[in-house]
Amino acid sequence: MKKLQQGIRPWLTKYFALPSDVVLELPRITVIGQLHVYIENHKGLVTYSDTELKLRANNGYIQVTGSAFVLKMMLPEEILLEGTISDIKFLPDG
Amino acid sequence: MKYIQESALTGYVTIAVTGEKPELFFQHCTSYGIRVWDVRKTKNDVCEGNIKVSDIKQIKQLRRRTQYKIRFKQRKGYPFFIRKLLGKKELLLGFFLSILLILFLSNILWEVKITGVPKDIEEKINKQLNQYGIHPGTWIFSLESPKEIQQQLLDDVPELLWVGIDQKGTTFYLEGVEKVVVKEEETPGPRNLIASKKGIIKNMYVTKGVPQVHVNDYVEPGDLLVSGNMGVNEEAEREDDEHKQVGYVAADGEIMATTWYEVKVSVPLQANTEQLTGNQEKKFHLGFGDFRVPIWGFGSTEFENTHREISEEPIRFFKWELPVKLIETLVSEKTYDKQKRTKNEAVEAGINQAKEELRLRLGPKARIVSEKVLHESLENGKVKLNLYMTVEENIVETQPLRQGD
Repeated sequence: MKKLQQGIRPWLTKYFALPSDVVLELPRITVIGQLHVYIENHKGLVTYSDTELKLRANNGYIQVTGSAFVLKMMLPEEILLEGTISDIKFLPDG
Repeated sequence: MKYIQESALTGYVTIAVTGEKPELFFQHCTSYGIRVWDVRKTKNDVCEGNIKVSDIKQIKQLRRRTQYKIRFKQRKGYPFFIRKLLGKKELLLGFFLSILLILFLSNILWEVKITGVPKDIEEKINKQLNQYGIHPGTWIFSLESPKEIQQQLLDDVPELLWVGIDQKGTTFYLEGVEKVVVKEEETPGPRNLIASKKGIIKNMYVTKGVPQVHVNDYVEPGDLLVSGNMGVNEEAEREDDEHKQVGYVAADGEIMATTWYEVKVSVPLQANTEQLTGNQEKKFHLGFGDFRVPIWGFGSTEFENTHREISEEPIRFFKWELPVKLIETLVSEKTYDKQKRTKNEAVEAGINQAKEELRLRLGPKARIVSEKVLHESLENGKVKLNLYMTVEENIVETQPLRQGD
């Protein structure tokens, strides 16, 4: 059943033009220059420090690196990061 | 970002979380619906963040099940600010005193400006105003209304024709118009004197003109009393010099005659009179709309019957009038008197009343010689009188003579 769901969702986005972040439960990342990163739909915070932010995503992690990081806002599934951003990486599971 | 502004109103605290991976504590908090913002890592095992004051209880509960330690670092926002301010009594006192001072100064007259009149009259007006108590430094609400001041000024400074008073904030603006005193025309045109009322002439004093009547003559209104035409009599003299002067003059003189009036008066047998005893009390209230707060003169008066005079003065703040008014009440004691009069007393009172009325009508020069009760009747507790008054008065009226043909 779960497999079927996972198979049907990309198909839905493809043929019905539904937004992929909603349907696929993927994180949506908005980056404003080097200043802000706004991440929605994440699955939890893993590490946070002055230079690094790591969030759990659907399958894998999102890693943001840079300097002078401040978490401007934290909500259950949203995070607004402020600082000087140099990297945004998707790390696979494991 | 809206909630951050909002939390500035409700108050927020900065907490420092110590422990292994302190950021995870914040993550833990957010999953319970607690808002966290401005999270930063200061050390490897210390993380700071802001939370709302109302969430402190929940945070403390959440912490119990973990190994983290929480320290409250800073308290910010409006409620803390107010509490801090309230803690500083001197500051608060100073603030209060300054408001009071401004209030005090706003209700003081600072300047009296007089325009439109020459210096000497300005000086006079200033003197008068000082007498009324209007000078820089007095309370504005102790002053009388501009209308009354205007009237007083006009009475006391005869050189003024008109004065306008305008109060703008703490300044009194006076605009005066000087009376240009024009001397009465010295030589009025030729005229006759005629009778204005019917009467019997008692006394004649003619300074100019030719008398046409004699003492004890009866005259009707319009009858010629003194003629301004000298020519008729002077023609007898043949001297040329005088002849030139002869002609028309402005007749002048005083002719007293006995006149008669019939006056009707009615006098009630019973009279109610009110009288102030002279005992009075002053009360002060602060009024907000219809609501009044007494500030001086508490309690009810012990007077049985009272007469109240209420004057209201708005309190000013800078140039604005506050909705607060200072209300001064002057409570005077009064007594009611019931008087019963006998018929004779009523008649006497009626006669006096009639005389008084007549005197008012005829002016101060008229003299009431005698009065006679023509008819009296008693109706509905009132005495009705018909009086016949004999008066001696000046009956002269001027009539200009038409000149030239």
